[in-house]
Amino acid sequence: MALIQPDLTKELKKYGAFDFNACYNCGTCTSVCTLSTEDNSFPREMVRYSVLGLEDDLKSSLKPWLCYYCGQCTENCPQEASPGELMMSLRRWLTAKYDWTGLSGLFYKSWPLTVLGFILILAAELGFAARLHFHIDRIMYYGHYFEMFSILGVFTIILLPNIIRMWYFTILKRKIKAPIKAYYTAISDLVVHMFTQKRSLDCDDNQFRWFEHFILVIGYLSLLFTTVFLNWFETHNLFINILGYVESIVIFVVTFDFVNSRIKKNKEMNKFSQPSDWFFVIWLFLMGVTAFVVRLFIDLNLIETNSWAYLFHLMILGQWALIIVPFGKWTHFLYRSFGMYFAKIEELAK
Amino acid sequence: MKKKIGVYVCHCGGNISDYVDIEKVKDAVRDEADVFLVKNTLFACADSSQKMMEEDIKTQGLDAMVVASCSPKLHLNTFRGVAQRAGLNPYNYVQVNIREQDSWAHSDNPAGATEKAIQLVKAGIARAKESEALTSMKIATTNAVAVIGAGVGGMRTALGLADMGTEVYLIEKSFFVGGRTAQWGSVAPTNDRGDVLTAGLFNEIQKRSNIKLFTGAELIEKTGSVGNFDIKVKIHPRGFDGTATADDIQKAVKACPVSTTDEFNFGLTQRTAILTPQKGQYPQQPAIDKALCNQCGACQKINSAFQPASTNEEILTLHIGGFVANTGFDPYEPAKGEYGYGEIDNVITLPQLKRLIELNDNELVFKGKKVKKIAYIYCVGSRQDDDEGKNKYCSRYCCTSATHTGVTVKNKYKDILNYHFNRGIRTYGKAELIYGQASQQGDVFLQFTLDSIPQVERKHNKTYVKVKDILTAGKTIETDADLVVLVTGMVPRENVKLGHLLKIPEGRDHFFNEIHMKLKPVETVIDGVMIAGTSQAPKNILETLNSSMAAAAKVNSVLTKGELSLEPTLAKVNPGACTWCGKCAEACPFDAIVQVDNEGKMVAKVNESNCKGCGMCTPVCPTDAIDLDGFTNAQIGAMIDALAEL
Ligand SMILES: Cc1cc2nc3c(=O)[nH]c(=O)nc-3n(C[C@H](O)[C@H](O)[C@H](O)COP(=O)(O)OP(=O)(O)OC[C@H]3O[C@@H](n4cnc5c(N)ncnc54)[C@H](O)[C@@H]3O)c2cc1C
Ligand code: SF4
Ligand code: SF4
Ligand code: SF4
Ligand code: SF4
Repeated sequence: MALIQPDLTKELKKYGAFDFNACYNCGTCTSVCTLSTEDNSFPREMVRYSVLGLEDDLKSSLKPWLCYYCGQCTENCPQEASPGELMMSLRRWLTAKYDWTGLSGLFYKSWPLTVLGFILILAAELGFAARLHFHIDRIMYYGHYFEMFSILGVFTIILLPNIIRMWYFTILKRKIKAPIKAYYTAISDLVVHMFTQKRSLDCDDNQFRWFEHFILVIGYLSLLFTTVFLNWFETHNLFINILGYVESIVIFVVTFDFVNSRIKKNKEMNKFSQPSDWFFVIWLFLMGVTAFVVRLFIDLNLIETNSWAYLFHLMILGQWALIIVPFGKWTHFLYRSFGMYFAKIEELAK
Repeated sequence: MKKKIGVYVCHCGGNISDYVDIEKVKDAVRDEADVFLVKNTLFACADSSQKMMEEDIKTQGLDAMVVASCSPKLHLNTFRGVAQRAGLNPYNYVQVNIREQDSWAHSDNPAGATEKAIQLVKAGIARAKESEALTSMKIATTNAVAVIGAGVGGMRTALGLADMGTEVYLIEKSFFVGGRTAQWGSVAPTNDRGDVLTAGLFNEIQKRSNIKLFTGAELIEKTGSVGNFDIKVKIHPRGFDGTATADDIQKAVKACPVSTTDEFNFGLTQRTAILTPQKGQYPQQPAIDKALCNQCGACQKINSAFQPASTNEEILTLHIGGFVANTGFDPYEPAKGEYGYGEIDNVITLPQLKRLIELNDNELVFKGKKVKKIAYIYCVGSRQDDDEGKNKYCSRYCCTSATHTGVTVKNKYKDILNYHFNRGIRTYGKAELIYGQASQQGDVFLQFTLDSIPQVERKHNKTYVKVKDILTAGKTIETDADLVVLVTGMVPRENVKLGHLLKIPEGRDHFFNEIHMKLKPVETVIDGVMIAGTSQAPKNILETLNSSMAAAAKVNSVLTKGELSLEPTLAKVNPGACTWCGKCAEACPFDAIVQVDNEGKMVAKVNESNCKGCGMCTPVCPTDAIDLDGFTNAQIGAMIDALAEL
């Protein structure tokens, strides 16, 4: 038995969903969705749960993570109920539900709050730089430590507990009894999806979009590795140096294209951008550009006289690492991969 | 006995001749006694064939005619016309059906078909021999109609008739016209107001001098038949005569000590014994409810127009030509305990909600509590299971009205949540847009089947509705609700007396029954009596008015010529043989047989304007004293003899 909760229906609208209550349950969306299967059918079921506001059913569902937002459903819905956008909003809402700090929800619902967070980070950075008397070498030295500790901290304090919560809601609470072995067997799925997003190929006939995505993920992860572990900004190794340049170029070129298509709204998934979507692509773009500029200034020996370039890069980095990664759209990447992983485990448990 | 019979056997293109050997048939009957000529025709109904037959009748002096062709349903009147034009009595014409009943039915057996055709034609000849000339009776008719019931339907019928020049007596039982429509406020799909619709119709009626409106009136007696009915109408005293200011009326209502539930508001409010017209009810003059008035005189003390003691009942005698029954419907009244009705105090019906909306301007309040969540349960009293006495039909208006009401409450009051527990939404035609609107505004639709109907229960001081929702894969879904609204269907008004008086047959659903739902949608088997509106079946306003105008046109077309010819195929009694056993009178479904004194002897007599020629009476008479013209015992006997002769 489940109680209708109109407040939840209202709440979902704050995460970007709209008009989904116009759904008359024809099921067209489910039948056109190329990713929906007999065992895991969506999005109609998710639309229905959302219309009724069935919180427990929504919170324990992995289905929103199985959708790649090709927009077929929205294009075909006779009621213009935008099921695709609802699925997107459910992902945002789920992210907020998984997050034990509750900050994700606040940031999603209020962009001014996100901006405030950005400003606080800028202020902290400037304060810190002032204490170091804007001495660029020392700032860069601590900046590198900041990178390492923020990655470690965000992962252990925020992301890991959240993934455990996700597991609790979607596997444990639903009383799915999976043998330990399933957790090993499914790891290959986790890795493959995380790095290749192979599933989205089934969703979209646009192979180019998948390829861009793939390149971006690889570029982003390797730039992270290059800057944090190979210490790109201080390296004298020519190969590493060039690698860093290539990676940062890849990032800002691809993200430039993403921003562009969001502005043009040329795909269903781009039509209804939320602030969180904008922050994500723009900050990723800025990361690529600023990293590129910083290293260029280092190589041209301009950095001493242009320390603002590094400060700007560090600001973007801080905002990215402390807000967008743990509480923003970045987590979708993580939860989606784990969504796929848990779905596999569920399948193995049957 | 006819001596010069012409027989025509038709090929019907090849429809008959492909299977029946026409020459053989002609040869077989050529030598029958009294057959004067036998011919075949390619198409008997063709102009040239008709001309030939006319010529034959005139030049050869035929005294009877047989055409062996298609069904009499198709061409009986065609060939009767041939006979008439040639100076032969149409009832000396006999049609034999060798197409539907022979060639088509036995296309696999031509020899058998030919054999059967011969038999049938011989029987037809035998009947023609015994045929007699009959003349149909002409009766003068009165172009006046009694319209019973002055809801939207009755008022529209009256206007339609009046504009075609028919005199109308509009007879309304209650003291006000308007019927149910006056009660609804905003109505679907146009969003105009019910009371505005009834006001418009009433104004138009006021403008027509050939409509006489009687309120507080009922039909109490009827005699006669189509074209000429004599009726008696009883007019109950209104108990109010003259004028009073609105202020005086209000004071009188206050002064009246009687209190009872107000049926206009379906029991949501109380009223006194003084009935005051509500919005949309006319005339806008009060009346006294005699059944409740205790004659205390309090109202009269305020204004002498109130006359509680008045007893001057009036009986009017009117002469009319036909009736239209526009007596409307009642909302289904749920049984005590049906979805908690009568037991849980915030379970009400859709008609009640419609009134509640009219009574609440800014906030929707029920029993002192603000209403935020409304659960509607659909199909209450409609589409019930197969048990005896249940209503199996769909009431048509209610899906539309319930979704429309959902939209109305949401627009009129802020933050209302509507939950529609339905069995599949049937907002047909333009009303589909209302369903769309309701969905867009966030109304939630849940769907159930008859096997698992919603449960209404009271717990933690709240009323809950739960259902196995088909749209959520059969999951049990529950909600609390401040108001549970039973979307009740339509049932016919309790109208036993009228039904008996006019002899209108009822269907299995107890609504009045037309002859044929598609082909004769407003006529009843009683000539001159039409039905329209919701007396006939559940209908919305549009459908009510459509059928009302159809009934007006139909009854007018019968009466407007001023005379009516009756089929001469009537029963007649031979008083010499009749012993008045009464069996025929019992057998007659139309009350056409009466007992009369014939030279000191009690015998049966047929009232010709009531007799329909159905033939129920003739076989029951033990002395063969009653016979039916056109189907006499002699004719039928001769046919049987011909068929039995092999
Ligand atoms: C809750 C509800 C909401 C509705 N909403 C809508 C809507 O939004 N849109 C829409 O199109 N339709 C709506 N309808 C349907 C609409 O009410 C009917 O179609 C319409 O009232 C039918 O009119 P009628 O003249 O046939 O019958 P009625 O309105 O019932 O009128 C019949 C009249 O006949 C009189 N009468 C009965 N018996 C006798 C007798 N023996 N002698 C003399 N007089 C007699 C009665 O007193 C009454 O005045 C609704 C119905 C309900 C129950
Ligand atoms: S296609 Fe649209 S209306 Fe049909 S079930 Fe999906 S969301 Fe609902
Ligand atoms: S957006 Fe595409 S993948 Fe997602 S539910 Fe709709 S059709 Fe399926
Ligand atoms: S119109 Fe709708 S509510 Fe009324 S009986 Fe038919 S299906 Fe049921
Ligand atoms: S023929 Fe029929 S209607 Fe006429 S008197 Fe006999 S039973 Fe009655």
